[in-house]
Parts: sequence; structure tokens; C-alpha cells
Amino acid sequence: MKGIRKLIAAGALVVSPAMASAECAIDSDGEVNVITNFFETLELLASVMEECESESLKVDVKMTTDHKAERERAFEAAVSPYDASAVANSSITVLQAKGQLMPLNDLVEKYRDEYNIEDQMLIKFGDDVAAIAFMANAQHFFYRKDLFEKHGLEVPATYDDLLAAAAVLENDDSIDYPFSAAFGGAGNWELGNEFVNILLAQGGTMFDPETSEPTFHGPEGLQTLELMGQLMEHMSPNALSLDFGAVKQQLQQGEVAMAILWGDQAPTMDKEGESTVIGKVGFAPAPAMVEGGPPATTFWWDGYVIPKNLDGDPETAFQVIMHATRPEVVDQNNDVTLWIRSNYQPTDYTAAIIQSVMANAPPYPMNPQSEMAHGAIGNNIGDFLAGKESAEQSLADAADAYLSAAADAGLISQ
Amino acid sequence: MKTKSFLAFVAPSVVTMLILIALPLIGVVYLALHQTYVKTELVEVTTEVPLFGTQTRKTTRTIPQPVLDDEGRAIRIEEFVGMQNLRKAADIDGLAETLGRSRESVSAWESIVRVYREITNYEFWGALEFTLLYTFLTTPAVLGLGLALALAVNNAAKRLRGTLVFATLLPMIVTPVVSSLAIYWMFLDNGVVSTLIEMLGFGKFHFLANQITARTLIILYGVWFATPFAFIILYAGLQTLPRDPLESAMIDGANEWQRLRYVIVPHLTPLLTVIALIHIMDAYRVFEPILVFGTTVYANSVQFLTFHVLGFEDNVHKAAAYSILTIIGVVILLIPVLRQSFRDRKSS
Repeated sequence: MKGIRKLIAAGALVVSPAMASAECAIDSDGEVNVITNFFETLELLASVMEECESESLKVDVKMTTDHKAERERAFEAAVSPYDASAVANSSITVLQAKGQLMPLNDLVEKYRDEYNIEDQMLIKFGDDVAAIAFMANAQHFFYRKDLFEKHGLEVPATYDDLLAAAAVLENDDSIDYPFSAAFGGAGNWELGNEFVNILLAQGGTMFDPETSEPTFHGPEGLQTLELMGQLMEHMSPNALSLDFGAVKQQLQQGEVAMAILWGDQAPTMDKEGESTVIGKVGFAPAPAMVEGGPPATTFWWDGYVIPKNLDGDPETAFQVIMHATRPEVVDQNNDVTLWIRSNYQPTDYTAAIIQSVMANAPPYPMNPQSEMAHGAIGNNIGDFLAGKESAEQSLADAADAYLSAAADAGLISQ
Repeated sequence: MKTKSFLAFVAPSVVTMLILIALPLIGVVYLALHQTYVKTELVEVTTEVPLFGTQTRKTTRTIPQPVLDDEGRAIRIEEFVGMQNLRKAADIDGLAETLGRSRESVSAWESIVRVYREITNYEFWGALEFTLLYTFLTTPAVLGLGLALALAVNNAAKRLRGTLVFATLLPMIVTPVVSSLAIYWMFLDNGVVSTLIEMLGFGKFHFLANQITARTLIILYGVWFATPFAFIILYAGLQTLPRDPLESAMIDGANEWQRLRYVIVPHLTPLLTVIALIHIMDAYRVFEPILVFGTTVYANSVQFLTFHVLGFEDNVHKAAAYSILTIIGVVILLIPVLRQSFRDRKSS
């Protein structure tokens, strides 16, 4: 599991944010407890939040990769021990559909000037502001510029081009495999995500919004699996055990020439002491499924929410969040990620994410059904990729698993 | 002892057991018999999300929204569903369908193979398959290796024993998640072991690329991890071995194997039973290597399913049903061992 690995590396991983000069001046007492996932940007924001600790105010940020299970139990309880939480496109949907999120409209208006809250940071469901977003992310294409030049290859515009490039790169002895993508990892979430990216890019859908019945097992789903099977032929045979952290290492160690990976991992390709291919990795939007179509990826945001059943004072929690995401933090940590604030200066590392958006990559669908379908897909298509059963069978299993989960969540009748 | 003072002595432990063991169990059963969800209706909602710079994108779609009561709170439905969660968890309906399907067109052997494949394709039964395989393969290996190590250390020179005991205990001292990760990294592409095999001229070997090697790796990890526990208990047992029967056996001309078989092992039998008991319970709950190796396609476990349903499906009720299935499984596996130890006690 990537988080556990990170946790172990945490001793060595020293985040040294350039601290904002402005002290946190929140004049309240009590406690603010936040629960978040575990990655570099969230670590940075946690350390900024903890600046707000004073004699009367306690700020505690719990970072765990099991944030989802814990948050959902907490927001469902009579009183939540957590006053805020970091969420993303997919995880917010379930909380929102259960009516557990506090609308932040009044707080946004009250503090708009003090923290210079910008409109694009507000995640809205109808008129309600459900979350404050701070960063964006998308998976995109990573490739070895030197090897592409050596073989006279161009950045693939479609997956057919990518397969053709992979066939050429098979003959290159300096690499182990032409391609890599996160087809493994605990819970099979990442495998499901690769499927969703390709499915949506060829016009497929995960479910029927009117009835919540699954649609991902139709012809587009079968084509998606067929393509994933073809990709597997150019990947490490261990692919079903490799999560995105392992894909990153394959690139850094020069084992693969192309990969689909999260955009925020781009700076690590040039990290001294970690990468052996510094300056050699280029970034581009993910290939499209059809000529001129959108890149096969989805667009993500990360943000903070406050539950209705919080233990502490929502105003204090809101101020702590806004302190951590204020413009100065973005200025001083510009290169950490793709910040959503307008004072962020795009870098070469985030250009491919922005290009993906401009090429009409869709935001990851914000419906609770998506998250359930995603989980069911990831958990079942591995059987096809491992050669244990047919594509039809594994998608039918996924559809059954989705229907069962959706029924338990009261989204469809049994 | 008077009944009153007996009760006074026993009461604290009875109360503690009720609170720490009985109550959580009742809670799990209660959860497994119920299902809760927030009542939703499909509503057209426009969501707005950031793109980059100051741009945003609006999307209008039909999404489930909570139905609110008069006070504006989401309505939660909590219903008694009886065996539904357990039925779903163990895929009883699918199982019945698989078993009931007519297979007249194929040979008996072929139809057995197909039924087995279809059954293990159901999540729970697939997970159970590997859980049982892991339990049945690691238990004898742990007992045998533990005994061999205990005998070896016991026969080693006295001043070496302390160091040997410590070194043998190391796998047990390391946290399971950490040691699973260490093993996973060793066997990945370009891990220490994979590289070594390549350097020795055997070519590239992919341990996590097929069912047999992935399962073997997890089982070997299980043996490596659990053997120290068997070792330390058996080593302690060897220290209590009376010298007289051993010496009489030697005078009677018993060779080393006979001494082991007829003197040492019978002396250690109660300990072997306890180790088997504890190891079976532990093995049935195998979790860390499944989580870390990320190959649920090749090897899944009942305990991992519980975690997965809670974490990824967000369904505490179905997870509770899996917990009950775990308890039932452990109890069934322990019955023969418990019966054996009960008989032994009776006969002695």
C-alpha cells in the first residue's frame, strides 16, 4: 500500500516548506482536529495548519491512508471527532449525498477579503459551497525524451500510436519494458482508475444517471479491457502488483520508457539522489482514444470540507483551513503542486495537466455511484488481465458487485 | 470456599470478559443483521469545479441527494435485514446458482473443475480458498521448522545459545507490515532477489506475475514470520525435558530418531497443540502480506475482504458479516485441535 510505504519513508522524507512570514493570528480557543490523506502537499498544508497552535487553541492533523474509512464513520456519528477533512472529486460525493457536509457559504462571505478567497476555489453543489479546493491533479503521459529521439518517435496522440511506439521500444536493450501504469496496489483502486480513464475517453459511461444501473460492462467497457490487455503485453509481468509509487520508481530507475502517472509526481523525475534519468523525462497529456478526442484521463481537485456534526467551532476550523491555503503559502511553495489560486505560476512540471484540461479532459464524475462502480471495476478486472477469465465475465462480476453495493447504499432497490 | 467469596474473586474477570469479548461480539452480530443508509432521491444538480487559473467548469447532472426531514436533517433508514448481509457476503445465491446449473454436456471431471472455478470466482470463496491453503500449509511447516530450530539451538554450544535465540526471534520482532514490505521489495522487478537471480544467469524472474509464485511467496513469508514463535515455546519446553527417560532410552539402544519420536515429541505434545491452536487462529486471519503484495487477483484472504468492504465499499454491515464468517471459520478449524487436547487431558 502506497501510504504505508510513504509512512516508512517518512523518517527520511523531510518536508521543509518555506514558512509564510505572516503568523497565524486566529483568536479563538478550543481544538481543531483534521483528518487527511497522506501525500506531500497535504503534509505541507498540515504543517502550516499547525502554525495556528497557541496556548488556547490546539490544532491536530491526522494523516492516514485509511482516511476514507475513518472519515465516513466519523461524519456518520452523532458527533464527529474531526472538524475538517481533506477530500477529492470522488470521496466528496458519498459525503455530500448523505447530507453530511456543512455549506460554507456564510463563512466564505465573512472571510472572503481576509483570506482573499477566490471563486474558483469553491466546490459547489447547486448553490451550496461544499468544499474549498487548493490543488488540481490529473494523470498524464511521461516519456523518455532521449529514447524517443533515438528511435525517431513522436509523442503518441492516441493509444494506437502508443502501442506502435511500444512495439518499437521493445527492441531497446537499455530499458526493461516499454510501458508502465498503476495496474496494482491495495484495494485495486488504481487499476479501476486506469479503466475509468480509458472508458470515459471513448465515450463510455459508468452507469445510467436516471436509474443508477451499471453501463460500464457494455461494448466500450470491453474495448477498454481489450486495450488494457494489449498494454499489459508491453508492461512488466508483475504489473498487477505495481502501484503508482512503483511506476514512479520504474521511470526514475530507467526501467521503462513510457508511463501514465499522476501529474504531481513530475518533479520527482528530476530529483537528485532519487532519479537516474534527470532531465530526460518529458510530459504530455495522456493519449486520446479517438483521433482528436479528449485525452484518456480525468481531472481531479483536492480540497477541505467541514462536517455538520463537528465537535468544535466551524468558524475556527474554517480559519485554520484558509490560513493553510492563503496566497502566501502558494507563493512560497509554488513548485510543490498545481495550486488552484490565481497567484500560482505554472511550471514545466504542471504544463501537461493544464494541457489535458485544455484538451477537454473531463473532471472525474462527481456522483456517489462513480465511486462504487470504480471500486467494483478495480476489484474484478484483474481476473481478466491475469488471464483467469474472459473480459465479459470479469465485467459481469464487476456489474454484480456494483449492484450489490449500490443496493446496500439505498441508491437502487434490491 | 464460600460461594460469596468465590463470586467476589471471579466477578472482575467475568465483567471484564463480558465488556471486552461478549459485548463487541453482540455488536458485530447486531450490525450484520441490519443495514443503514441515507434516503436519497435523484435531483438535477449543477456542480462547479476549478480547472486552472481562474477558470471553472459547470456540469449539470442527476445525482442522488439526501431527502431531508422537517428540521432539515437527512433521513437515515435503519432496517433489520436478517441474513441478507451474510448471504451477500458469502454469495449464497450465486453459489446455489452455480451448483444448480446443469452440466450434462461435459464429463464428470470437467464439470467438477468448472464448478470449482466458478465457486472460487466468488469473492468470499476465492478468498477462503487461499486462506485455507495458507493455514494448512503453514501450520505443519511452522511446527516442524520450529521443532528443528529448537533442537538445533538446544544442541549448540552454550555460549552461542543467547545469540542464536535472539537471531531466530528477529522475524517475530519486526512488525508484520514492515517485514511484508521488505519481502515485497526484495522480489519486485529489480529487487535484491530478482537482480541476484538475473546476475547468476537465470534470466528475469517475475515472482508476482502468476498465481503459483505469488502464493508461494506469501506462504513462505508466513512460515518465516511465524516459526520463531513455535521455536521459542518449544525451546523453553526442551529445557524442562527430564534427563532420566532420555538416558534410559539411550541405554536401551534407542537411536536419535527414536529418542525424538518416543521421548522428546511426546513430552512436547501439549506445547505443539497450543502452538497449532494459536497459529491456526493467526493464519486464518492472514492480512498484511495480502495488503502489501497488492495481488488480490492471485491471493486474497477473508480478513482482507473485511478490511476492503469497510474501507472501499463503506459498508460496515457487510464487513460485520465477514467478521462473523471469520469467527465461524476459526471455530470450525479449531474443533479438531480442541477435541484432541481435551482427549489428551482426559487420558492423562
